[in-house]
Amino acid sequence: MLKLVQNEWMKLWSKRSTWIMVLLLVLIISAGIGIMKWTHKTQNIGIEEDWEQIVMNELQFNESQLLNPELSEVQLAYYEGLVEIGRYRLAEDVPPFEPDSMQQQILNSYTMLSLVTLFTVIAAAGIVAAEFSQGTIKMLLTRPVSRWKILTSKYLAVLLFGLLLIVITVAASAAAGFFFLGIGEGQFLAWNGSEVVEASFWSESLRMVGLSSVSVLMITTFAFMIGTVFRSSSLAIGLSIFLLFAGTQVVFLLADFEIVKYYLFTHIDLTQFYTGFMPVPDITLALSVTVLIAYFLVFLIISYWTFSRRDTTA
Amino acid sequence: MAGEPLVQLKNLSKTIGDKNIIKELDLTLNTGEITGFLGPNGAGKTTTIRMMTGLMRPSAGDVVIGGKSIQADYEEAIAQVGVIVENPEMYKYMTGYKNLLHFSRMHPGVRKERIDEVVRQVGLQNRIQEKVKSYSLGMRQRLGLAQALLHNPKFLILDEPTNGLDPAGIREFRLYLRKIAAENNVAVFVSSHLLSEIELLCDRIAVIQNGELIDIKDMHSLQKSQYLIVAEPAEQAGEVLKGIGFPVEAHEKGWIITTEAEHIPGAAKLLVGAGLSLYTIQPYRTTLEDQFLEMTGGGQIAEARAK
Repeated sequence: MLKLVQNEWMKLWSKRSTWIMVLLLVLIISAGIGIMKWTHKTQNIGIEEDWEQIVMNELQFNESQLLNPELSEVQLAYYEGLVEIGRYRLAEDVPPFEPDSMQQQILNSYTMLSLVTLFTVIAAAGIVAAEFSQGTIKMLLTRPVSRWKILTSKYLAVLLFGLLLIVITVAASAAAGFFFLGIGEGQFLAWNGSEVVEASFWSESLRMVGLSSVSVLMITTFAFMIGTVFRSSSLAIGLSIFLLFAGTQVVFLLADFEIVKYYLFTHIDLTQFYTGFMPVPDITLALSVTVLIAYFLVFLIISYWTFSRRDTTA
Repeated sequence: MAGEPLVQLKNLSKTIGDKNIIKELDLTLNTGEITGFLGPNGAGKTTTIRMMTGLMRPSAGDVVIGGKSIQADYEEAIAQVGVIVENPEMYKYMTGYKNLLHFSRMHPGVRKERIDEVVRQVGLQNRIQEKVKSYSLGMRQRLGLAQALLHNPKFLILDEPTNGLDPAGIREFRLYLRKIAAENNVAVFVSSHLLSEIELLCDRIAVIQNGELIDIKDMHSLQKSQYLIVAEPAEQAGEVLKGIGFPVEAHEKGWIITTEAEHIPGAAKLLVGAGLSLYTIQPYRTTLEDQFLEMTGGGQIAEARAK
């Protein structure tokens, strides 16, 4: 199996498009941070304001949210945490990270994972379909290796690629943040349910990246399935990217119906339990994880079943 | 010449929808022997080969290679097989060497030294580190052969292997196949519709039509010893030849007799002695093409439509 994954990895990196994707990822992230610094500098944003004023404004907004009757328990707990942290900062004189700091960029790096989704989907869509369109599938399947092993090696190669891109995203955010913005002052604080504690911004960053990675995994697995079933990478890329954007919109359309609770895109963004932005407020983390696992298994079962059953006529 | 039975097609059938594409094929292939697989387009050659290589599942029957069933022991059965498909499709964006490395990783026990050895055998050592997209068709064909030989297969399956090769390439390919069949005692199965090619290459041929095996012939016993005789006046020549007792057939130029070579000088003397003008005595061969058309009835397309 290791040798098969090695094969897939070799093929992946022998394609110029793979290197271009990595290059683009690094460029876009660095350019984003560079441009942010440049606009802030030219427009004098965030330089004159003092942090106490900003925290005060946020605190007022968060306190008003606590009075919002439409919020769910999960959201109330979230705003309660924010309010406690805001009060603690003002009382104890503990400033947050400046927006223009390496630390804040690392904390925000999870928002860049949609790019990773895009690139990993391209790899996942093509990894089976391209063997069919190039005609190499006949060379690949007339070997003493059963089909499920070949499919597994391809899936693992895609997951590894996704993981690598995620690491690159965080590393590029840190590097560009350090280069353009430098290490800023401040302290990350967390609310553990009963008191405000000082926490590492690294562990918070990793948690958010980890939760966002679940969405990368789901969309990638979906693209892998479409590419395997229909043997067309363009269809798989198109459909996956379309769903990535349209899927979330459909959540709002379905919001009043019970079925929304079993819909993939209601649950795909697990960071919603830590950012308070919940399109369907009355779901829980446990329900989300269950629904996601169910979809994940269905995607994989369909992929394996078609790949190992169907006659190869390409 | 014929070695031991290595591959057996047993009652092999394929049904797609309600169409019987392949109907109960039975065929045995021996080590050291090259078997040609002939048939008009659409007869089921490719489907049969796909079932023999595990790309398609038989609807009924089995392919047994070296005692292992391709259905029950797929990995062990296919481990003995080297496959060259029509225009071997390689990963064009990788070098020839990386392509071979890729396939060698899928066979247990193929070492790097073996890759170098195969590369030398097919004569690609100067270009092996270049990307496959820069290769000519002939070089791709050689690379295709190299990947099929990596694991020292006992059984080689070739589907239309010489498509697109120039005459020198075809000749080289043929000599090479003969050599490995003889030296390594490999059973070879070649599908083609290039009859002249099959004629030169194979020890025997299996002919398929409409999914049925209609004939298996040994190429060495296929050719009867016949001679074309042209003499004037033709009528009289015919009389003389019949008088000697040869089986005589009319031909547009003269007469065809079926006999062994040692009787030819005597026949010539008698013809000249009878006062005839003798123009030509030459060995006469029916080509495989003639025989093939005879066997398949020629009008296979019309027949297929009528079905």
